[in-house]
Amino acid sequence: MLTVGDVFTSYGMIKALNGVTLSASEGEITCLLGPNGAGKTTLMFTIAGILRAQAGSIKFDGQSIERLSAAKVVEAGIALVPENRLVFPTMSVEENLEAGAFIRVAKDRAGVDDDIERMYMRFPVLKERREQMAGTLSGGEQQMLALARALMSRPRILLMDEPSVGLAPLIVEDIFQIIRDVNADGMTILLVEQNANMALSVADKFYLLEHGRVTFEGAPGELEQDEVIRRAYLGTE
Amino acid sequence: MSDYVVSVVSNMGMIAFIALSAYILLVIGEISFGQQAYFGIGAYISGVLTAMWGWPLWLAMVLGCAVAGSAALIIGSLTLRLSGIYFAIATLSFAEMIRLGLLSVHVQVEIDGELVGPEGAEGFGDIRWIFENDVTPFEFMTVIYVLLVGVLTILFWVERSRLGTVIRMVGSDPLLAQAQGIDVVFYRLLATVFAGIIAGLGGSLYAHFATYIEPNVFNVMLGVHSLAYGLIGGLGTAVGPLIGVGLDIGFLEGVRVFQGYRMIAFGGLVAVLLIFMPRGILDEERVHRIKRWLERS
Repeated sequence: MLTVGDVFTSYGMIKALNGVTLSASEGEITCLLGPNGAGKTTLMFTIAGILRAQAGSIKFDGQSIERLSAAKVVEAGIALVPENRLVFPTMSVEENLEAGAFIRVAKDRAGVDDDIERMYMRFPVLKERREQMAGTLSGGEQQMLALARALMSRPRILLMDEPSVGLAPLIVEDIFQIIRDVNADGMTILLVEQNANMALSVADKFYLLEHGRVTFEGAPGELEQDEVIRRAYLGTE
Repeated sequence: MSDYVVSVVSNMGMIAFIALSAYILLVIGEISFGQQAYFGIGAYISGVLTAMWGWPLWLAMVLGCAVAGSAALIIGSLTLRLSGIYFAIATLSFAEMIRLGLLSVHVQVEIDGELVGPEGAEGFGDIRWIFENDVTPFEFMTVIYVLLVGVLTILFWVERSRLGTVIRMVGSDPLLAQAQGIDVVFYRLLATVFAGIIAGLGGSLYAHFATYIEPNVFNVMLGVHSLAYGLIGGLGTAVGPLIGVGLDIGFLEGVRVFQGYRMIAFGGLVAVLLIFMPRGILDEERVHRIKRWLERS
């Protein structure tokens, strides 16, 4: 569904991605593991059109998207939940949900309202807090809101950047249960994680990214868990 | 109303335009030290048109705003890819370029035996539209406030509309806004041009109220003050910068008996406010609470 072919991205002189090739298949959860600085977030931003690749191709349903603006990428059906900057803190929960539907709210007001109601059914805590400023939610609730907001654009693939970061272990369990549920409803997910244990428990397929390159691809179990964890945190060297 | 009160109230009204202009930039997440340039452009363009070419005031003001808006479009497209301190420095440099440019503009024509027009650092006097048309200071003050209410109405309408929400998203987190499919550069440019037009409007009023302008009126201190108004009054609503203007000019005028010491008191007040209310008196959170309270009652 999403294929990334030999992508190079750099920040000025610093090369962050040195020819990354990977793919995410429809209906699956694909995980991307790797230590800090391996280029995971850079890859997410490149797919989302926020950063430009110097070379390589990104295809979504056979359509080339590597030259599209971030806005067009969202319209194509790709939604990104960035790491750490989850919500618009000074806007209410409901306004945050509406923000996720930015690309279609003008044309389809009724549909957006229906979707907001559906999100409230799925995440009742958001309904309780609908008028509250999003910045006052707990970390787990903010992650939930960020996920719900991403779904508001009716994406066909969800890119999630480190949903477990900064959350208590019990909350991480909850978030991953939600990820499983969303996937069970048919959503394709590309998930970047540092928490290798959690990631492997939900992944259909995973990649190891080190120094801007994919160094392993396979299904969970194809590489010993200890080895995955060591490389995900520390890299090979 | 005494002449003195009329002049203080008129000043507050005209400064409110540039305060709103700087506020719009703050809302999109940028600190501009250059809004005084658009104020100055509006003042000079409209002043030249009425005093030298005999245009009617309203048309001169429209053109003053249009030129200020176009200047904002050009400077904005050059600077808006920068952010934070780099944007602040770039806007300051452009504003200084325009001020220094005005210092070397010498274009005068003879009208009724008098030389009229910008004369560099000597300034541009005899912008005599209000005398020729027998407009009293009180009437001109009314014009200022009618236009200010007009601008505020537009701003309130935008704040309640989807456009306002989008602009707040862009200001709060440009990257996250981009991830929702928002063309961040477009909305930033839109807000910048609107801010330029508002400052230009304030400037063209100022030129005709003061009847004399010089490039140094539009120096960086004017820009710093206009930023301070929003930061003191609050960034949650367009009422915020007006509170800032009222506090600054109203307070300083009100305690004139204390002479030089009043600046110390005012500086202290600003410092205390910024420590306890970093986004001003009416920040987003208080505005949110007030709105909820109004909806309930």
